[in-house]
Amino acid sequence: MNQDLLEACALTVNVGKFSLKNIGFSMGPDDYVVILGPTGCGKTVLLESIAGLRLLNGGALFLSGKEITHLPPERRRLGFAYQDSLLYPFLTVQENILFGARARGLKEAPEMRRRMAYLAETMNITHLLGRYPRFLSGGERQRVSLARAILTKPPLLLLDEPLSSLDRQTRHATQELLREIHLAEGIGIIHVTHDFSEALQLGSHMLMLHNGQVEQAGKPRDIFFHPATEFAAKFLHGENLIPGKVVGREGKLWFEHGGDILLGPLPECCLPKGLSPAGNSLTMFIRAGSIRLSRAGEAPAANSWSALISDVIINSTHVDVYCHGNGSSWQSSLSLAEWQGLDLSRGERVRLSVDPEYLHVIPQ
Amino acid sequence: MLTTRINIFQGVFWLIFILITIFLVVLVGGLLFYGKWAAFVSVIHHPEFHFAVVFTLWTSLLATALAAVVAVPCGFILSRYSFPGKVLIDTLMDIPIVLPPLVSGIALLILFGPVLGDALARLGMDIVFSTRGVVVAQWFIATPFAIRTFKQAFDSIDPRMENVARTLGYSPAGVFVRVTVPLAKGGILGGLTMAWARALGEFGATAMLAGITRLKTETLSVAIFLNMSIGDIQFAMATAVIMLLVALLLMIAFKVFAGTGVRL
Repeated sequence: MNQDLLEACALTVNVGKFSLKNIGFSMGPDDYVVILGPTGCGKTVLLESIAGLRLLNGGALFLSGKEITHLPPERRRLGFAYQDSLLYPFLTVQENILFGARARGLKEAPEMRRRMAYLAETMNITHLLGRYPRFLSGGERQRVSLARAILTKPPLLLLDEPLSSLDRQTRHATQELLREIHLAEGIGIIHVTHDFSEALQLGSHMLMLHNGQVEQAGKPRDIFFHPATEFAAKFLHGENLIPGKVVGREGKLWFEHGGDILLGPLPECCLPKGLSPAGNSLTMFIRAGSIRLSRAGEAPAANSWSALISDVIINSTHVDVYCHGNGSSWQSSLSLAEWQGLDLSRGERVRLSVDPEYLHVIPQ
Repeated sequence: MLTTRINIFQGVFWLIFILITIFLVVLVGGLLFYGKWAAFVSVIHHPEFHFAVVFTLWTSLLATALAAVVAVPCGFILSRYSFPGKVLIDTLMDIPIVLPPLVSGIALLILFGPVLGDALARLGMDIVFSTRGVVVAQWFIATPFAIRTFKQAFDSIDPRMENVARTLGYSPAGVFVRVTVPLAKGGILGGLTMAWARALGEFGATAMLAGITRLKTETLSVAIFLNMSIGDIQFAMATAVIMLLVALLLMIAFKVFAGTGVRL
């Protein structure tokens, strides 16, 4: 049986008036868990609690099967890096990296020196070893911070928004580095972020927090396309959240919006689990990229409806088209080539359509 | 060199700045040039002056060291922890700053006299009218300045710097020594300098607790007072000039070598 690397059971942490309530999850040694949520939802508190930097008010933590709930941080031996790298300004880059080895009396140990040289080489910071942190760029600091955190090969690396203070190019390179650390070093990672694109690109599992509680947990791709709640859908930038109800017709379930739009038949997987949907007020979630847009003259078909273009935003990679129809606003994303082919502009009437497999219903 | 045009607002500020600078230069200059050089040389070779210098140095250094011993934990606790009554205790620790030193001296005299005097005498630890009293008075006056400065220094450290060290394997004591102290070094040096400067020039509390006894509890400040009171202005002025020079050198050395301004 593959043992869990980390198991968090019903963690409760009180910080002033804020509480992290009943957080439970587990991860294996090969997992890259992303904790996602808005500012103030308790992501960093959870990470610091796992590291032992905050006392738990309830629950238990197990690392590789051993309980670590009451162990101080220095005995948990987990790697930790904050978003702003927090290098010690009075130490050189080399001394910063070896800081953890120094705590264990291994600063001069040949294996630590070799490990430091290897990490410096891997992270392309060898030329910076003699410098002080104030002379490094943001990306360089973050690489040094990561090298410092994994020098002693911790089984688990905890990262608090490691990419948020980096520019786009550096962020991409650091993302690659994190993937490499995870795969090549065999270190499990818990990565806290408020940016769901990081979760999609890096995470094998995702834990979404809201007001100190787990809103949804699962694979990032599943959560991205099938959010369980309206909050999750909105936080994941769900473009089309349409109120309506599920109705039964000819033995199948359909989503009805405003009496005119009937979407479906709804596949079983797109309905909320454990809820008898028929007749309930629900919300339809459709990604903008799943809504097709065609000229109004085309013949009406199933799962299609008429709308008026209210705004068009042309981006460098795609075009966002905002429409209004049947009392609701709709957003469709098209490729630049599709948009050019359609040759439409604001105020024109269009036909929107969606494939039933892209429909997802969430409770209101 | 000023390269921008100075408007009226900046002009007023500059005027006040220049006037106060001139005032201080004249004040110090007056002290330096009013005295006679011959008297100055004579005072320097006077045994009473030698006693006062040596006595002031060792008592003030000991008082500063004791102030640091108290101020480091107090400043750290005030900076890092929240607890009921914190504002009250924080204010209580500032009392020696706001009280006139004479009043502090009376309070110390009562504590180490009628209240604790007998018990301390039985232990052979007389404080009142003794050399120990000088150290206690200097320590009492200097400590709040050290606490305040140390607290500010600890406040300026991001606690996450300390968190990272904990995850890297350091115990709380290890974090304090390896991370907190190096990060607060500038503020700690500033606090020590301020504390030493206050101890060096202490007079009021010392006079009340330790008394003004020639060649026994005679610090430089006491020496100035004693000689002024018997009309030996030259001795008093030479001592004052030397104290002034020591204070100036101390502050300049600190600002140059520690690379930071003394703040309070």
